[in-house]
Amino acid sequence: MRGFSWGKRSVRAGLGILLMCTVGLSGCTQGTSSTESVHQAATSLPKDELVLAVGTEPEGGFDPTTGWGQYGSPLFQSTLLKRDAKLQLVNDLATEHSVSEDGLTWTVTLRDDVKFSDGEPLTAEDVRFTFETAAKSGSVIDLTNMADVEAPDTTTVVFTLKSPQSTFISLLTTLGIVPEHAYGPDYAEHPVGSGPYKLVQWDKGQQAIVEANEQYYGKKSTFHKLTFLYLDEDAAFAAAQAGTVDIAAIPAAFSKQQVSGMKLESVKTVDNRGIMFPMQPAGAKSGDGLPAGNDVTSDISIRKAVNVAINRTALVEGVLEGRGRPAYSVSDDLPWSNPDSVFADANPDEAKQILADGGWVDTDGDGIVEKNGTKAEFNLLYFAGDLTRQSLALAAADMVAQAGIKVNVEGKSREETKKLAYTNAVLFGWGSHDPLETYNLYSSTHKGEGYYNTGLYSNPAVDHWMQQALQATTEEEALPFWQKAEWDGSTGFSYQGDAPWAWLVNIDHLYLVKNGLNIGEQQIHPHGHGWPVTSNLEEWSWDAESK
Amino acid sequence: MEDRMGWVRFVGFKMLRLLSLLAGVSVVSFILMQFSPVDPVEAYIGGDMIRVSAEQRSLIEDRWGLNDSPVERLLTWGQALVQGDLGTSMIYRQPVADIIQERFMNSVALMAVAWALSGLIGFGLGVVAGMKRDSRLDRLICWYCYTLASTPVFWIALLLLMVFGVWLGWLPIGLGVPAGMAADQVTWGDRAMHMILPALTLSLTGVAAIALHTRQKLVDVLDSDYILFARARGERGVQLFRRHGFRHVVLPALTLQFASFSELFGGAVLAEQVFSYPGLGQATVQAGLRGDVPLLLGLVLCSAIFVFTGNMLADILYRIIDPRMKEEAIG
Repeated sequence: MRGFSWGKRSVRAGLGILLMCTVGLSGCTQGTSSTESVHQAATSLPKDELVLAVGTEPEGGFDPTTGWGQYGSPLFQSTLLKRDAKLQLVNDLATEHSVSEDGLTWTVTLRDDVKFSDGEPLTAEDVRFTFETAAKSGSVIDLTNMADVEAPDTTTVVFTLKSPQSTFISLLTTLGIVPEHAYGPDYAEHPVGSGPYKLVQWDKGQQAIVEANEQYYGKKSTFHKLTFLYLDEDAAFAAAQAGTVDIAAIPAAFSKQQVSGMKLESVKTVDNRGIMFPMQPAGAKSGDGLPAGNDVTSDISIRKAVNVAINRTALVEGVLEGRGRPAYSVSDDLPWSNPDSVFADANPDEAKQILADGGWVDTDGDGIVEKNGTKAEFNLLYFAGDLTRQSLALAAADMVAQAGIKVNVEGKSREETKKLAYTNAVLFGWGSHDPLETYNLYSSTHKGEGYYNTGLYSNPAVDHWMQQALQATTEEEALPFWQKAEWDGSTGFSYQGDAPWAWLVNIDHLYLVKNGLNIGEQQIHPHGHGWPVTSNLEEWSWDAESK
Repeated sequence: MEDRMGWVRFVGFKMLRLLSLLAGVSVVSFILMQFSPVDPVEAYIGGDMIRVSAEQRSLIEDRWGLNDSPVERLLTWGQALVQGDLGTSMIYRQPVADIIQERFMNSVALMAVAWALSGLIGFGLGVVAGMKRDSRLDRLICWYCYTLASTPVFWIALLLLMVFGVWLGWLPIGLGVPAGMAADQVTWGDRAMHMILPALTLSLTGVAAIALHTRQKLVDVLDSDYILFARARGERGVQLFRRHGFRHVVLPALTLQFASFSELFGGAVLAEQVFSYPGLGQATVQAGLRGDVPLLLGLVLCSAIFVFTGNMLADILYRIIDPRMKEEAIG
């Protein structure tokens, strides 16, 4: 097992290094006839076709009921609702939706003019079938809170929940509807749906070729045919250099390289990284009975001092090459985030003051403060092999050292981290279009459950606000409650409140895009790379002059 | 008649060994997977972990049968296997046999071309180097082989990718077929073009061992008394080699060449990874990284059979080429 992961990593590392060398060298070869001719060959393709290398292959195929389309759009299927560039909810298959007073009954009305790509109409029965199939699939789609789904007539669907959950809306925006009449064991390989595109060919391990769905009811894209290549980030970069692709997702390490004929697009994200602190004193227990808690990080002055001492802008500049922005919460700039959670950082003096006020003083003159004989020293773990996380952890440790806190940075495997996460600070990354993530991270219901709330954070006021948010009948109604859970003026899970996390940065997603190709207004992307970039394909176009 | 009995016993014995090998290999792999730190559910959920509740997690475990004891799981798997069912891959949600078949068809062509090329070129280089011992040509060939032997496969792959894929733009940078082309329009020529770089990578690295061994063997042969005698009669060059050298050096070369099936398989994993070539390698990496037990066991069986076949072919060829082998005890 280790062997395999090692092999893959060294392949990646090697490829990375080589690509860097190459680009250095290819400065001399640019403009030679051979490179030119390659680029010309690529640009002379018909303009209504695109070749993309933006995401990894969905191994399980294109079946929404087992997880396809959870990020970005399912492309071949349509969803009941979707989110626009501002992440506002808009109707897709639905014409309206409502939630009962107690939050348990959700009623969705459908358009009656939608056809699947095989010409059959899409009805409420298909929606019922989709949700029931997904619930039974034993996949990443979590419908455990759905008690029942009914289709009383052809355009009405009624969901019954076990407990109120305003975030149920996320399932309506991500789960693509599959046709009951054309669903079978090989559906994942031969999807039929009502989305803007239909799958023409899937060469496993290599590419998917899709064409516009003639039956599609929505705004049609200018691109008739798309080819998605499944390449590693490094291979995608090589493909961009060779002029084979129109858009390629690349890691930040390659962002300084010029690729002729292409421009670099940075997309804003909530793909964040932050430090999780154990919130209980040592001696606590996680849900699985593992030791939990830490005597140093359970002290609020330590957590606040760390937060204030860190220079987030410097992290963005130094570690991310400027491709990102400072992070102050798990959901920066998303509708349910509280803008008040932003604070002035990069201030080691203020951090020292916070520590002094909390009773942490350096009595033995070694540069590290202590309190009641305990040194302000703790471990910060990151997933070994992730260079960005390593650099962030090391840089952050240097910054807080100036305030008198000693942080020992250690790389651990995911498996080790899982066991040690309850007693040590850990550099994690999150970021989702679903506020349920916020709930899972901060709610005391989930403390010590796997990766949920590994710090065992618990604040009755926060729990109360989040419960209110879940019980809200609409997303708009829930938003203020989410914001209050973060900071309600007296308490919350933001820095101003209990500071259970020190959020560091949001990492931009980078794409090399052919000159002249316009990829529209992008949503704030969630954690993870790739498919979200295609969620607004209908807005993509070639600039007039490049046609 | 006696000869035929010898063959039957030979093949029967080999089959018995294969069966016990497969049983052993699957049990050991299964135990290793049990001790592996990778949690398959975790690996499957990946980035979604914060959206998947504990309740849903146990649904996934149920579906995959992870709640049964390891012994029970191994027995269930073994029973199904006897009936010809390799099980269902967790991550691909497809029968393992289908995945392996599909992937194998891609890999086997690649490996066959690479294998044949490296065998022929390696043997040729070894013979030339041996015949021209201590000449400049010999030193050049040796230097080339040592360099290659100490170079990782993926690094060669990267070099070729950079030079022929990116700088010169002569060959595609990856994949097994042209991007965006409908399956019925893909020609054999296209497939061949896409196979050149990975096959070249594999054969370049495969050349070293066989060339060096052949050279050494030839050097030993050329030092022998009967060569001295042959030389005394005026034989030299190609004639000398054909009459007195060839049979001596071809046997070790064949052994090596067939024994290299395992390296070929390992090399293909890396080369396919670099060139995004859709063969067994890609599937193996995925299965390993994500703890997909049924798929990995299937791949292990497949590779064991593959390597075993290579060794058996070598044994069979021995018996055909060298009559003395038939006299010896079997085994």
